[in-house]
Amino acid sequence: MKVADAVEVLATTYLSLDAVAQGLEVKASEVATALAKAKLDTTEFVCLTILAKYNPVAQTIEQLTEE
Amino acid sequence: MALPSKVLPGFVASMWMQTTASPFTTANLAVWTAQVATIVGTSAGGTGAAGTALATIEAVPAFGQDDAVANFSVAGSRQSDKIPTQSAPTSMTITAAWNPSDAGLLLIRADAYSGLVDRTYVVAAYDGTNTVAYAFNGRVGQFQIDAQPGAEAKAVFTIHPRGNQYGWSNS
Repeated sequence: MKVADAVEVLATTYLSLDAVAQGLEVKASEVATALAKAKLDTTEFVCLTILAKYNPVAQTIEQLTEE
Repeated sequence: MALPSKVLPGFVASMWMQTTASPFTTANLAVWTAQVATIVGTSAGGTGAAGTALATIEAVPAFGQDDAVANFSVAGSRQSDKIPTQSAPTSMTITAAWNPSDAGLLLIRADAYSGLVDRTYVVAAYDGTNTVAYAFNGRVGQFQIDAQPGAEAKAVFTIHPRGNQYGWSNS
C-alpha cells in the first residue's frame, strides 16, 4: 500500500489509530522519508507518526541483513 | 510547538464545544492548528470560530478512561495478578448554572433529546501563553434542570465520550 493511501485511511477514520495502523502494510523506509518531510502539528504528521510506530526502519534493516 | 514543561498552575481548565455537529476524525483530534484551535476560544489561546464555551459550568470534571481489570490467581502463589482489560472512556457529568438562553447549554439540551448527535468537545488548559488541549468526540446522555428553591437553578448533564476518539494537542 502506498504511504499516501495509508495516511488517507488514517486521516478519515473514527476508529483507534493504533488499531487501524497495525493493519496497514507500508514500507518503513517510505514512511520514514515522508515523516521527515511532514510538518509538525498537521493531520499528515499525526498519521505518519502512528505508521512509523508500527513500521520502524530498524526492523527493515534487520530483515534486509537476514536476506 | 513543544509541550510546555511546567506544572500548570491550578490546572486552569475551560471547556469548549463545537457549534456545528461535525466531529473531527481521530487524527484531527490531535492537531491544534486549524483544527482543535478553531473550537477553543481566544480567551484560552484558540481562534474560536467553530466553537462555543461551556462558560457556566462549575468545574471541568475528571476525564480520561475508566479502570478495567481481570483478576487471576495461581494456586500456591502468594500474589494474584491483575490484567488490564477493555476499558470505557470516563463519562463526564457536569453541573452548570442554568442560563436558559446560553448557546452552549441549548446545544447540550438538544443533543440530549436526540441522543445521537456526535460533537467534538475540548478541555483546554491555558496558562496565558500556552494551551494544552484534550479533544474528544462525545454524545450527551443526560440533561436535567435542578431548580432548588434555596439556590440558583442548575443544569446537570452527562457527556459520554466515544471510544478511542480523543487526541492531545498544544499550541
